Amino acid sequence: MTAATMAPTGESRGQRTARIMAEKPVIALLVVLAILYVITGVQDPTLFAPQGIRSVLLLACPLAILAAVQTVCMLTGGIDLSAAMIANFAAYVSANNAGLGPIASLGFAFLVGGAIGLINGIGVGVFRVNPLIMTLGMSSVLVGVITVGIVGDGFLSGSTTILSLVKSVGGGTLFGPIPLNSIVLALVAAILILGLGRTGLGRSIYATGDNESAGRLAGVRSWQVLIAVYVIAGLLAALAGLMFSGISGSVGPDQTNSYLLPSVAAAVIGGTSILGGTGGFGGTIVGALILTVLNRLLLGLETSDAVRQIIYGAIVLALAWFYVRVTGQRAD
Amino acid sequence: MTVLTPLPRPTGAATRLRRRHGWLAGVVVLLAVLFVVRIVQIPTFGGFELRTIIAGSMALAFLAMAQGVVVISGGINMSVGALMVFANCVCAKFMLGQDLLTCVLIGIAVVALCAVISAVMGYVITVSGVPDIIVTLAISFVIAGSTLVVLPAPGGGIAADLQPLIVGGFSEPLPAVIWLTLALVLIWLPFKRSRWGIATYAIGSQRGAAYLSGVSVAATRMRTYALSGVFVGLAGIVTTAFTGSGEPRASIGLAALLSSVAAVVLGGVALIGGTGGLLGPVLAAMVLSLIPAIMLGFGWDPNLSEIARGVILILVVMLGGYVQLRRRSA
Repeated sequence: MTAATMAPTGESRGQRTARIMAEKPVIALLVVLAILYVITGVQDPTLFAPQGIRSVLLLACPLAILAAVQTVCMLTGGIDLSAAMIANFAAYVSANNAGLGPIASLGFAFLVGGAIGLINGIGVGVFRVNPLIMTLGMSSVLVGVITVGIVGDGFLSGSTTILSLVKSVGGGTLFGPIPLNSIVLALVAAILILGLGRTGLGRSIYATGDNESAGRLAGVRSWQVLIAVYVIAGLLAALAGLMFSGISGSVGPDQTNSYLLPSVAAAVIGGTSILGGTGGFGGTIVGALILTVLNRLLLGLETSDAVRQIIYGAIVLALAWFYVRVTGQRAD
Repeated sequence: MTVLTPLPRPTGAATRLRRRHGWLAGVVVLLAVLFVVRIVQIPTFGGFELRTIIAGSMALAFLAMAQGVVVISGGINMSVGALMVFANCVCAKFMLGQDLLTCVLIGIAVVALCAVISAVMGYVITVSGVPDIIVTLAISFVIAGSTLVVLPAPGGGIAADLQPLIVGGFSEPLPAVIWLTLALVLIWLPFKRSRWGIATYAIGSQRGAAYLSGVSVAATRMRTYALSGVFVGLAGIVTTAFTGSGEPRASIGLAALLSSVAAVVLGGVALIGGTGGLLGPVLAAMVLSLIPAIMLGFGWDPNLSEIARGVILILVVMLGGYVQLRRRSA
């Protein structure tokens, strides 16, 4: 053991706490989550009952998966602002083709998600388009495509039925306070956390985000990594869209749009740097839980939507600021 | 034996001109072509159509300037749309039923307010160390909420005699042209040539180097955001004058944000910062509002124009990326 890895002797308790917090920011986030949960619970005691816990988890799971989209993209220094529109589109396609059976219906949804992700990936990886612009542009294209599709006798104009599979997985209960969709989240989390930490692609994703030139010199083909990342992002966005439609039991051309900014915020609060190279999905899940509880707290307040929005924005900013303070990861 | 390395030949004036203003020239040509198409499309093309195009794209032009200064400094401002809607609603609420002079004073106050809000945003970015995209996104929520507090439902108004002074009357394109030119000549050009402007370009192209040469990065960023706020305020006033009312819908802000980024990129300001000017984004704003009009004129579904806008944005940026790649490998 070298001296560098040993804890410096003679540090005060405060310094020690600060060091542990900086090394394991998830602990600080869990403390924030616990405090927030207790505050919300005092105001609304049902939150301590199994049903209350279930309702938080039910909404946090799809948000966490949408935030997974942002997490993988942000690890490479990118972002996916088309995630919400991909989610809407995929859910629509699935509901539109429900008559063909669950395999074809879900297959089409993921095909759409993956294909849009592929286009994003080619733009970002091959043509070096700024990811913000690429996905913002893609989002505006998708708005148009969906609008054209659902009016008159467009290609999305048929009847829409949510698959019973999507409904039961998206909105059902496993046991007690655990909704069925947490299994999906657990699967995604296992794949992402193991995949990012242990596989070659995962390490290449971190390498690309940390220092692309160094990564390239070390043999990482960053354009391939970026294409893979955006395809994964598209598939995850499609999954999130299906899960949201399972909760609401319906589809809409702008159903998940209000979750786009929370998905970015969840990843940021969870400690994934928007500049790339640091973070992971574990923190993002905590971030999604924090935002869901926060939303619940604000809904309980007797105030207008406008004030709620103000508080929400201020708290997201405060949490991001808090995270930078704790870890010392400044952007500049 | 000594090996002589030939001196690199000095770049010719033509090459320099092409490199420096090539993109802008392309935008000018594109705009001219679109104008010709539009004129051919409408046989009675005259003052009315010209006014519709220029006054209709004026708010976006100011918003593109607001986004442009921040992008030149190497940042991004995701709150321009929300702040424009805020300025629009504040104007409409307080200008309703007032006379011309009061309205002008309110307009000045709103521009100052937007500059202050934006500067505070810049301050938070420099102090907190949170990436600018996150700070401006989060604050755009706060701004959107405040907008609803100011004006919960569409409404408000503006002095009827002020409207034509800003956006021109029924078929009067001149005021809009004059205001845009004034903004470029009286605000942007002096700023660009001042120490502050040079510092803005410096932190945009190489922040570390700028810091080491004595540029105060924090103060420059705040100033850039303040100037951005001024342009956003102007965009809000123009929106009020053009529509004659306030509309607090958040989706308008989002669409405006998208268009502002599109105009900046199309206008030749690279998102990595440090290059370009504000004339390009202003012209690009007109390009972006001409395209849907022309497509409608050809009898296309209006929803297709949304797709076309996105596709054009992506293609333009891809082309830009391709040109840069070629230049780097050459």
